[in-house]
Amino acid sequence: METLLWQVEQLPGLLAVSRSEQVRDWDPPTLDRALQWGRYFQHLHGRFRAQPRLRAALGQRLRRGQPGPPLGFGHLGRCPELLGLALLGNRALPPAACHRLLRSLLLPPSGQATPGPCSLGLLARRRAAVQLLPPPSSAPTRPGELEPQLRTEAQLLLSRLQEDEEEQGPASVLEQLPGPRVYRVLAALLLEQAGDDAGREGARPAAAVLSWLLGDPGRLSDFCRLLPGSLLVALSARYPQLGTPYLHLLTSWGSRLRYDPLRGQWASSRCPGEDELSWEELQERFSCFMRGPAPLREAALASLKNLKTQDGDFEVCGLSVWTDLLLEIEAPLEREDWTLES
Amino acid sequence: MEGEGMAQDTAVPKLSFQYWLDKAVEWGHTTTLESQQDVCLHLPKLQEFLQQIYESLKHMNSTTAIQRFPLIGQLLGRLCWNPFVVGYDESQKTLMWCLCCLYSNEPQNPVELKANSWILSLLCHLLSSSSWGANEVGTGTFISALGYTSADYYSKLVKNIVSSLVTELKGNQFNGLNIQGRVSDDHVTVVSLFCVPLITLPDVTPLLEALLTYHGGGSQEVLSSEFLEAVNETFLKKKIALSESAILSLWLRHLPSLEKATLHLFERLISTQTSSLEHVVSIIKDSFLLEGRGEPGCMCGPMDTAFQMLQADGAHVCPQCNTDRDHTSQRTSGQPQAACHPAIFKIVDEIFKNALLETGGTPEVMTIIQMFTQCFVQAHQKDNKQHKFPLKAYFPHHHQHLVIALLKHPFDLPAMLWSQHLKYITDMLKAIIEDKSIRSYADLFESWFLFVRFGEWADIAVEQLLKSEDESSDSFLWLLAFYYSPHNDKEKRTQIVVEARAVYDRLMMLFSCTTLSITDLQAAASTKTDKRQPCTKHLVRHLLLSFLLFSSGGHKIAQEFISHVILASNTTNEVFGLLIRTAYRFNQLGLKNQRAVKLVNELLQELRFMD
Repeated sequence: METLLWQVEQLPGLLAVSRSEQVRDWDPPTLDRALQWGRYFQHLHGRFRAQPRLRAALGQRLRRGQPGPPLGFGHLGRCPELLGLALLGNRALPPAACHRLLRSLLLPPSGQATPGPCSLGLLARRRAAVQLLPPPSSAPTRPGELEPQLRTEAQLLLSRLQEDEEEQGPASVLEQLPGPRVYRVLAALLLEQAGDDAGREGARPAAAVLSWLLGDPGRLSDFCRLLPGSLLVALSARYPQLGTPYLHLLTSWGSRLRYDPLRGQWASSRCPGEDELSWEELQERFSCFMRGPAPLREAALASLKNLKTQDGDFEVCGLSVWTDLLLEIEAPLEREDWTLES
Repeated sequence: MEGEGMAQDTAVPKLSFQYWLDKAVEWGHTTTLESQQDVCLHLPKLQEFLQQIYESLKHMNSTTAIQRFPLIGQLLGRLCWNPFVVGYDESQKTLMWCLCCLYSNEPQNPVELKANSWILSLLCHLLSSSSWGANEVGTGTFISALGYTSADYYSKLVKNIVSSLVTELKGNQFNGLNIQGRVSDDHVTVVSLFCVPLITLPDVTPLLEALLTYHGGGSQEVLSSEFLEAVNETFLKKKIALSESAILSLWLRHLPSLEKATLHLFERLISTQTSSLEHVVSIIKDSFLLEGRGEPGCMCGPMDTAFQMLQADGAHVCPQCNTDRDHTSQRTSGQPQAACHPAIFKIVDEIFKNALLETGGTPEVMTIIQMFTQCFVQAHQKDNKQHKFPLKAYFPHHHQHLVIALLKHPFDLPAMLWSQHLKYITDMLKAIIEDKSIRSYADLFESWFLFVRFGEWADIAVEQLLKSEDESSDSFLWLLAFYYSPHNDKEKRTQIVVEARAVYDRLMMLFSCTTLSITDLQAAASTKTDKRQPCTKHLVRHLLLSFLLFSSGGHKIAQEFISHVILASNTTNEVFGLLIRTAYRFNQLGLKNQRAVKLVNELLQELRFMD
């Protein structure tokens, strides 16, 4: 057992080496050994998949003492492809070893017409299929519809979170993910989970993701600033625990705007960027609330009216940002009412 | 080794390299619909060519390969960037194999080093292993950070794209009245064309099915003909499985495909040396035009229902249709019953009819039609969903009573009533044929063709003639004369009946003799041969064969007589056909141990051996 755990602990190192300059010294036998290890790990995955305790133990070893993205039990099963594709993209691999790599990855085993176990032909074909199949036509996408690319990333993230669920929370995975993209993918994941009506099974990762987002003010602020208003309203409609903090963020952004009497408009106090929103964007985001479901619309209106009262309840433009906002967003509503009545 | 290389070399003509390179350049430059159609048309040939190149390359080292085929780099490089080529069937594998063969393990000079690096970048492009596409930069990093590969990503992405296209097509179908339809017909045409290379990719199957069942706003075909043809071709080769409704829709919207499917079945039936009718049935059921859900075999139950149903005349009531049967479960069974759709049945029937006309009524074709009809009736009975069309709707003959009588399968009746039912059929047919008011050839042919579809009654007639000295023998001889000679000349038919009667009477005299010689039988067979009608000999052979099977002394000389007759008259196929029909009928009746059954099987063994 100890040997097994020790072997598994070598995987992160092996993957790291396969991406590094160290492969410069590899000869064909070394390459064969690396690929054999890959297949061996895949075999272990198949053998212990149904045994939760062993899975957990192996998963724990995989995460031990390795810089870089943390690995999970699922990586054992994907090992041949992870290793093969990493080596294929590593230009440091010398020609003799690379020659061996190509032959064992791509060529059919001699004497057989069918290709080997690694299905890279299928990968190339699917990639071509993605290029060929036109994206669904140009119709405006509703907030409930996700573009397939984003949806795919969300699904992969979800399955990664589910893989690790019994072993650890989502934080260790989520914190490793790069920049602004992670927020878009998280939103897609939340949307997909809500739409699926997947019950408790599916709701768990969504709840974990949500509490991870809400757990850190900076994170939440990044999340809300990056995503479009319509999407955030759609999410708030499905996850009420998101709606209130989002509205708070909007009002805090709004309170930082200062009226510029010379230009006759609301402008950011300092140079915009950091944690701010322009007047136009603020206005757009509140309009999204107005187009959303009734409870959200009412909450937004109530909050604005309340703020307006606190500011002195003026009806003149340029004194309170809330007065002006209310004027802007209520005007289209009244116009709509008027059209309906006529 | 060198010799082998040379031999392989000649298999790849140098001209082809130039041809395919020119094509690849042309495809790379333009992205019009025409050039895309051109790619689709050339994909199978190109794949063959790539396969030939690979067969040559695998015996060479990279230096020799480049010397022999100087254009190979340019060609492969361009093809790897063409998604139609990379996406097609197995071409991407062959492309990668060729690239592997060109990689040198000990590069000797800068050129070879550069070639190696070029090969790796092409492979990385094909597999997205390091370089993701321009609009996928963020994705690549994201996926790697999750610990997934491009293989995981693309496998899910294709499914998602397919499902969103399917949703779009289906949504459009439901919003048929919406003027601002979300999908334009042009868009659907393009989607269908772009699916051509991907037909055998299982991820795409739901999209193929959605396209096949999609109809645009107008009456014009929205799917590209390249797509329809390619799907049909692939389906007939059994390289993909499609839902029943998709296949039905394909054959209903695209006549050439249906014709191809029918001819494909017909060719299989004609070309395979069928050793039994069970085999014929299995080929028919394998054709997707008809596929039985149950065992072939006893058809009593459903046929009875059919008979009662049809007797109710017009008012079609099917108790099973009223039950809440879950029709969606039929989709999972995936057994198309396309021919149960009247329009499809009509076309198939028409094609068979033409085959019969063109072959001048060859017995093999008659048997095929008979078996197809039998399988069809069986399938129609078993498929509750299709019951909206009553059986008789498929046989639009003037005399529906005749149709109803013929639809009654022999096994639905006790054997003792066969003679009576046959007499009923014969009388009706005779009245129709000899009615002076309708004497057009077309009418005559239609009646004959109707009877041919239910040809098992002809076999029963011969059997009845020999097994019981029936007062209806005149009727049955007339029926057989009509079956073997459907012309319009009453005199001629009377002549055939007379000739057949003479032989029949002699045979009946010999029927109970326990010892017979070949000469006795030959003498009987050649009664009244001086001015014999050509088709009488078919009828006589049929009578003789039944005599051998059922008479007291016939079985002893059967083998000898048959080899004698066959050797003398070169009629192996005809006798073989009669025997397999008899064997099939015995088998259907569940007969096993009777003398005649054993004899038929022995004779068939013998004939198969002679083949």
